[in-house]
Amino acid sequence: MNCEKYQDLLSDFVDGSLAPEDHKNVETHLSVCVVCAEARNDVGAIVGFCLEHRGEYDAVPNERALWLRISNMIEVDSASASPTAIQANAGWWFRLMNRSWQLSFPQLAAAATVIIVVVSMFTLVGLRGLGFTGGGSGVQSAGFVPPLGVVSVKDRYRQQEQVIAYWNERVELNKARWNPQMRETFDKNMSVIDSAVNDSMRQLSQNPHDEVSEEILNAALNDKVELLKEFASL
Amino acid sequence: MNFYLPTRNRVSFAAFSALFLVFALAGSAFAQQRVSRQYPAGKNVRIELKNLSGTITVETWQRDEIRITASMEAPAVHFNPRQTDTGLVIDIVADNRDRRDVGDANFKIQVPARSSVDLETRSGQISVSNIQGDLVRAHVWTSGDITLSGVNAARVFASNTTGNIFFDGEFASGGTYEFKSGQGVITLRLPANCGFRLVATAPAKKISMGEFWNKGMQLLGEGRRIIGDVGDGRASVTVTNYQGQINFLRR
Repeated sequence: MNCEKYQDLLSDFVDGSLAPEDHKNVETHLSVCVVCAEARNDVGAIVGFCLEHRGEYDAVPNERALWLRISNMIEVDSASASPTAIQANAGWWFRLMNRSWQLSFPQLAAAATVIIVVVSMFTLVGLRGLGFTGGGSGVQSAGFVPPLGVVSVKDRYRQQEQVIAYWNERVELNKARWNPQMRETFDKNMSVIDSAVNDSMRQLSQNPHDEVSEEILNAALNDKVELLKEFASL
Repeated sequence: MNFYLPTRNRVSFAAFSALFLVFALAGSAFAQQRVSRQYPAGKNVRIELKNLSGTITVETWQRDEIRITASMEAPAVHFNPRQTDTGLVIDIVADNRDRRDVGDANFKIQVPARSSVDLETRSGQISVSNIQGDLVRAHVWTSGDITLSGVNAARVFASNTTGNIFFDGEFASGGTYEFKSGQGVITLRLPANCGFRLVATAPAKKISMGEFWNKGMQLLGEGRRIIGDVGDGRASVTVTNYQGQINFLRR
């Protein structure tokens, strides 16, 4: 039996109208459950107040009719607030989402601990994957470039070259339809970007930690991809 | 050596020349189509233009109106300006997506001074003058000079692959300014009292700071990059030139 069930019995418990076995069960639960004990105190206070002030108020003209109206209103409210009835053939996700969850404090604490541990592990794995080792230079380049030591400049270049190869293929397919002037303009500008890429690569081969060349390489490769994308649609 | 034509031949030569001129002029008149449209606008209007090729010139005027004048070479592009809540959008690229070969479209746009302009073309020059609005963006995908003169906007972005970039204007405190070229000269002409934080990178050519050089500036990568503050350093300025020079001039 859960707290909800015990609280349903509290009114009868306070009145002393429960069966001895139920009375004993409720009493045992109240000794260990602070929430239900407080609810018991509230019900006791209400019942006590009513007993003390019995006869001070005029009885309502039709007590039975009033009670039925109140009862109907409670039923309507609880029907609208209760979760949708789950059909027998409903899927596991629907069942999960429509289930009423009631957790004790230790259960809640355990669930929170599990969530924290799992999120921490994923974060750690994710950061390692991105190369945030914590002991690096502290300066990260923008764009696709992960830090040095995890992936070499050549590896990064190769990764970006794959993207470039894809867009280049699409441009080449359309290029035959372009007029000669457009072809010439495109080739001329692509060679400017290629020169920037090659110069940066040359610098980096001499000094692998050259930050300026690394950033220029990154920017030039991104520019190349953008230019190819723009002209691929022509 | 003298060339001599008999009288009869001279008459027929003159007639042929006149006829040729008439046809040539008529041909060029038919080859270029000129369209002008005018739109009512508030003071803080935004213009977006995405062109295929041709020049774009933006000027300011005193009226609360936008006037677009397009000179289109044959085969002329489709041209359908679209009014929005904030201003006007002209997307020549989208309007002519299925057309293989179109001629240059040269635009002259007149706008109120407080306007923002966002201009882009695959090739061709962009010229913007006297804009005082929030944004000036000029992007040439391939070749074309960019000239921004008398510009006093909070955000300025100018970039091309081949061609010069010239900026003559002021940097607003807290503003952002980015200039980027693949090959060409980037020249910034600024008033003596301007303040900005600079990151200028030119791996292949010189960065000339002129009178804006000060001892607080750092030279990185054997002078390929300069970082430092000029004046109060409250505007952010980034200048990158892959293969060209960067010049700072004092007004």
